[in-house]
Amino acid sequence: MGTVQIRDVRKSYGAIEVLHGVSIDIEDGEFVALVGPSGCGKSTLLRMIAGLEDITAGEILIGDRVVNNVAPKDRDIAMVFQNYALYPHKNVRENMGFALRQRRIAKAEITERVNNAARILGLEPLLERKPRQLSGGQRQRVAMGRAIVRDPNVFLFDEPLSNLDAKLRVQMRSEIKELHQRLKTTTIYVTHDQIEAMTLADRVVVMNGGVVEQEGAPLDLYDHPASLFVAAFIGSPPMNFLEGDLREGPRLALADGTVLDMPTGDPKGRSRVTIGVRPEHFTIGATGWPATVSVVEPTGSETQITARLAGQIVRVLIRGRTSVLPGETIHLSVSPDFVHFFDPAPVPELALLEDAA
Amino acid sequence: MSVLDSPAPRRMRSPLAHRLRIAGGVLISVIFLFPIYWMVVTSFKNQVDIFTNPPKFLFSPTLETYVEYMSRADILRKLVNTIIVATGAGVLSIVAGSMAGYALARVRIRGAATFGLIILLSRGVPPIALAVPMFLVARKLGLTDKHITLIFAYSTFLVPYVMWLMRSFFVSLPRELEESAMIDGCSRYGAFFKIIVPISLPGLLSTLIFSMILAWEELLFALVLTNRYASTMPVAIAGIAGDTVNGANWGALTAVGTITVVPVVIFALLVQKWLIRGLAEGATKG
Ligand SMILES: Nc1ncnc2c1ncn2[C@@H]1O[C@H](COP(=O)(O)OP(=O)(O)OP(=O)(O)O)[C@@H](O)[C@H]1O
Ligand SMILES: [Mg+2]
Repeated sequence: MGTVQIRDVRKSYGAIEVLHGVSIDIEDGEFVALVGPSGCGKSTLLRMIAGLEDITAGEILIGDRVVNNVAPKDRDIAMVFQNYALYPHKNVRENMGFALRQRRIAKAEITERVNNAARILGLEPLLERKPRQLSGGQRQRVAMGRAIVRDPNVFLFDEPLSNLDAKLRVQMRSEIKELHQRLKTTTIYVTHDQIEAMTLADRVVVMNGGVVEQEGAPLDLYDHPASLFVAAFIGSPPMNFLEGDLREGPRLALADGTVLDMPTGDPKGRSRVTIGVRPEHFTIGATGWPATVSVVEPTGSETQITARLAGQIVRVLIRGRTSVLPGETIHLSVSPDFVHFFDPAPVPELALLEDAA
Repeated sequence: MSVLDSPAPRRMRSPLAHRLRIAGGVLISVIFLFPIYWMVVTSFKNQVDIFTNPPKFLFSPTLETYVEYMSRADILRKLVNTIIVATGAGVLSIVAGSMAGYALARVRIRGAATFGLIILLSRGVPPIALAVPMFLVARKLGLTDKHITLIFAYSTFLVPYVMWLMRSFFVSLPRELEESAMIDGCSRYGAFFKIIVPISLPGLLSTLIFSMILAWEELLFALVLTNRYASTMPVAIAGIAGDTVNGANWGALTAVGTITVVPVVIFALLVQKWLIRGLAEGATKG
C-alpha cells in the first residue's frame, strides 16, 4: 500500500531546527505537491521520506510500517533527482535496469520491464546510449524511466523539471501527469514552482520556514488562501495586496490617506487588515478605485495591465483585448466574493518576484 | 554527468604567446630530461668512452654492463622484490586510501576534516625519524627483511597520499549518484563499489600508478628494513654508488639506474591518457 504518513516530523542540523513539526497524510495513489520558497525544507522532508536524512523527531510511515530506521533500499520507493543522477558509466538500458538487478530479478523480466518503460517514455531508440550522449530532456526521461520500471509504492520527485527550458518543462509536466493517471502510484513532488504544483497535484502542501502553511486541493488554495503568504504564493500573476484601516461603509483607508469603497467588510471584524485581490478578479468600469495605467501587455488571449493605485503597483488581468492606454485613469471594481482579508503582514517579496519572472 | 563529460574549454591564444609557450615547454623538458638521457647513454658506453673528456656524443654502444649486471642473481632478485613491493604497496594503499578518502568526502562525522588534516600532517614527520622505530618494531615481530614489512611501511605514507587525492575526486562527484544507488537497492558499500569505483576508475588507476612509482623508488625504508632477501633496486643502486674502492663505477650505476627507471617510464607512457584525464577530473569541482 502506497500511503505515506508524516507525523510531527522535525529535523535539526546540529542546533538549528529546519523542520518544526510537519504532519501530512498521503493516501494511496494520491499526487501531492510540496511547494514553498527556497530553503523552506521541502527537499529535506522528501529526503527524510526517502531515508537519505535521519529523522530527528517524529515518525514517517510508508504503508503501515514506521520507516524511521529502514534503509532507503528497503522502503520500496523510487526517487527522481533534480540533476537526474544517472549513472554515467552505464547506458540507458543498464541505468533503468540497475534497481531490478539489485533485486535479483530474472534477466528476461528485466529486459521486458525496461522495454516496457522505454516504450511508455519514448526511449526505445536511446537504450544503448550513455547519459552524456543525451539531451537534458532525454536525461530527465531516463530518470523517470528508472523510477517507473521499479513499480515502487511511492514516487519521490525533487524539482525534476527545473533544469529544463520553459517549453520542455510544460511538455514534461503533462507527461508526468499522464503517467500518474496511468500508473496511479502515490507521488510526492517537490517544486518551488506553484504552477507546476497546481497543475499536477491532487493536493498541494504549501510550506514556509519549516512548517506547513496550508494544504488542500489546488483550487481550494487558490480560492481560500488561509494566510497572506499562501495568497501571495499561489496564483500567477500574484495577488495584489493593500494594507489599511477598515472604516464604516465599509471603506478602506490606506496609509497615504486614500479611502477606497469596499464591496464587503471583513467577516472577522478586524479593523486593521491587508486585503488581497487577484489580478483576474478586477473589472474595469465607469466607477471603482481609480488607478493610473503604466504598462499594458497584451498576449492575445488576455491583457495584463500594470497600474498605480494610491502609489502602489497593482496588476490587472483581463480576458481579451483592451483599448486602455498608458497614462489613462481606469476604475477598478471587484465583486465581494473575490476580496480576501488577512492579518497585516509583510508581503513575501520573493514569492512575488519569482512568480513574476 | 557535469564533471565527467564536459570537454575542457579551449582558450584563444595569440600566435606569438603560443610559440613562446611551446619554446618554454621545450626548454623545461630538456632541462628535466637531459640527466635521464645522459644516464641512459652512459649505460651503453664502455669504460673508456665514459671518461673521455670532452664527452663523446658518438660512440659504439655496448651491452657489456647490462650483460654483467643482469646476470647477477642479487640484482635480478632485487628487481623482482621491487615489483612485488611496489605492486603490493600500491594495491594495499589504493584500496585502503580510496575507502578512507570516500569516508572523508561523504560521511558526515564531527571532526572528519580535522581527522583528515591530522593524517596529512603526520606526513610532515621526516621518514628517518620513523625508519628506526619501525626497524625496532619489525625486529621484535621477527619481520625484518620481508616483503610484507616494506609493503606496510610504504603504506604509511601512501595511504594518506591516496586518501587526499581520492577525497578531492569524490567530493567532485554529485552525492545524488550514491543516493540514487542506495534507493535502487545498494548499501553504502554497494553504492561505492558498483557506482563510485567504476566512475572513478581513471582517477583510481592514475593514483595507483603514482603510488607504485613512489614505492618503486623508495630508498630509506628499504635500506633500513630489508637486508639480502627483500631489498629493492634503489638499494642496489645505493650499494653500487657507495662502492668506490676502485673509483666510481659509472657504467654499473647508469645501467642499473636505467633498468630501474625504464619500467616506470613505460608504465607512465602507457597510462598517460588516464593520468591526465584522472588528474584533470580530480581537480575539477562539480
Ligand atoms: N546538510 C545541511 N546542514 C545544515 N543545514 C542544512 C543542510 N541541508 C539543508 N540545510 C538547511 O535546511 C533548510 C532547508 O533546506 P532544503 O534543502 O530542504 O530547502 P528547499 O525547500 O528544498 O529549498 P530549495 O527550493 O532551494 O531546494 C535550509 O535552510 C538549509 O540551509
Ligand atoms: Mg530543494
